[in-house]
Amino acid sequence: MSSATLEINGISRRFGDVVALNKLEIKIEPGELVALLGPSGCGKTTALRIVAGLESTDSGSVLLRGADITKVSANHRNMGMVFQAYSLFPNLNAQENVAFGLQMRKVAKGNRLAKAGELLELVGLNTQSKRFPHQLSGGQQQRVALARALAVEPDVLLLDEPLSALDAQVRANLREEIRRLQLSLGTTTLFVTHDQEEAMSISDRVGVMNHGRLEQIASPDTLYNKPATTFVASFVGLMNRLPGILTNGKVEVLGQNLSALSSDLANGQVKALVRPERINVTQDQSTPNARVITRSFLGASSRIICEMHDGTIVQSLMTSHGSGMLNPGETVKLEIADLEVLIAHE
Amino acid sequence: MKIRGILLPSTLLAAIIFITLPFGSATEFSFRDGGKTKHSLAAYRWILAQEDFLHYLGVSLRLALGAVFITLLIMVPTVAWLHLRAQKYRPLMEFLTLLPLVVPVVALSIGAQSALPEALQSNEYELSFMYVILAMPYTYRALDIGMSAIPLKTITEAARGLGASWIKAITFVIAPVIRNAVVASLFLTLALSLGEFTLTSLLHWDTFPTWVTSVSQQNIIGAIALSVFSLAAAFLFLFAIGLLTMRSKSDLPEGQE
Ligand SMILES: Nc1ncnc2c1ncn2[C@@H]1O[C@H](COP(=O)(O)OP(=O)(O)O)[C@@H](O)[C@H]1O
Ligand SMILES: [Mg+2]
Repeated sequence: MSSATLEINGISRRFGDVVALNKLEIKIEPGELVALLGPSGCGKTTALRIVAGLESTDSGSVLLRGADITKVSANHRNMGMVFQAYSLFPNLNAQENVAFGLQMRKVAKGNRLAKAGELLELVGLNTQSKRFPHQLSGGQQQRVALARALAVEPDVLLLDEPLSALDAQVRANLREEIRRLQLSLGTTTLFVTHDQEEAMSISDRVGVMNHGRLEQIASPDTLYNKPATTFVASFVGLMNRLPGILTNGKVEVLGQNLSALSSDLANGQVKALVRPERINVTQDQSTPNARVITRSFLGASSRIICEMHDGTIVQSLMTSHGSGMLNPGETVKLEIADLEVLIAHE
Repeated sequence: MKIRGILLPSTLLAAIIFITLPFGSATEFSFRDGGKTKHSLAAYRWILAQEDFLHYLGVSLRLALGAVFITLLIMVPTVAWLHLRAQKYRPLMEFLTLLPLVVPVVALSIGAQSALPEALQSNEYELSFMYVILAMPYTYRALDIGMSAIPLKTITEAARGLGASWIKAITFVIAPVIRNAVVASLFLTLALSLGEFTLTSLLHWDTFPTWVTSVSQQNIIGAIALSVFSLAAAFLFLFAIGLLTMRSKSDLPEGQE
């Protein structure tokens, strides 16, 4: 089965006064895994449900392999969906759950149970195939749900925060497994999550959503290093917000004069957005501008929390080797290792 | 701990006495021959001799089955629909279904009767509709609780997404999953319908309960024998339903605990 292209074309959806989606535009290439990342209530689930055919659109269209499927009902779309939790059929055992989609496609009983067995093996549950949902742990249930979605060889795999109800260890394992399966099967996948680490770690591209709109869609690398908007910058990864003064595209911050990346702000007081790993803390005593509060050893790197003279708290991430002498209470100098910075409103 | 150790058995004993003593005494009394200490089956022979006995039993059973049918056809789909598509109206429904307990039966009978189609108003099956209304406070709750215990909306959507048409989603997923709640609500309807007296007599219909009341004025021991018979029948009925649901559990494939 060849992988499919999925296009979401300018989809809007309102619920009463709430604008859940505002002209959402995404194109997913065959075999690609795209994550939709955003705070709770930003419209991720609505987008996924519209693709699955479980929710209607006010305007816009969904294209699969270039064909308009906006009006096709959910049971004719051939998509595999995994929900947040508790979506297995309680009256069927694991194997029957996985075989359900094939049963609906009139595959003979022997064949569909065999195929279900294979898929359960793929998700590491072949010994649990006769168990009922209530006899499985949360993680196992989601594995069955994943196998069930994949059993029909879907054109698109849709995952709606499938890991959010699981504990940290299981979550980390299962997300790697989802990626491994997705890569080996080559299934075009749309993965919805509010957890940035989850999105960044397994996706080819991540779309960051805010208030029903797509703020930026790019590779995890680009998103982190070249965020297009201040929302993306502060939602993805940690950002220090340092006080600065903007004058005609230049911003003065920590005594340095840097280029401002977003220049639609008026001159005056602004916040410069700087990643912790782009801030160097040195023992330069000639022009100190901060004081060390804590240093936490994280292994290869250490996190140093400092307080500037005006009270701003600054986080820095340095190699443990280079920060060994920075003890709490010490006066230090903070330096930004970039020539350009993103700026935001005060 | 000590108090609880005594409390539980004694409460149980009290409950057993409370339930069995009147029933036992009534049973014993129903076998007395003409109120004397001698025992006989006279009262029961008298029941069978009443030619109306089977007739009114039949009437009540027919009307009760009608009520069961209406519950299955209207109540069950309505509650399922509330859970799938209109969650926000559940509190309203919760309130509405309590009304039959609050509105006096006289007002209810007249109001509900005038709401029925003309053709039904002079038909005995209007009682089936009335029984459904009277049973609603209980049946609605049985169905609502049963459907709240499972994520009905999500599993229905999962079934749809896997290629199930609405019909298939209902047959393969919704129906098996809500079965026990439906059985419970149907049983409640049946039990209430078979015993309903007030509204039936207000609307001037004759059913088994109204017939029992009228014959009890002629033969007091016969009337008690009738009550014993009805109670025993109801108990057997309950038992049968219990057996049915138990069997359905052991029907599940092995591996089920
Ligand atoms: N069926 C619905 N009825 C009314 N409002 C809804 C419905 N579904 C979603 N919404 C609203 O639309 C917005 C987006 O919801 P959703 O797509 O679930 O967000 P997310 O999945 O990103 O948390 C929210 O404000 C939510 O309250
Ligand atoms: Mg959501």
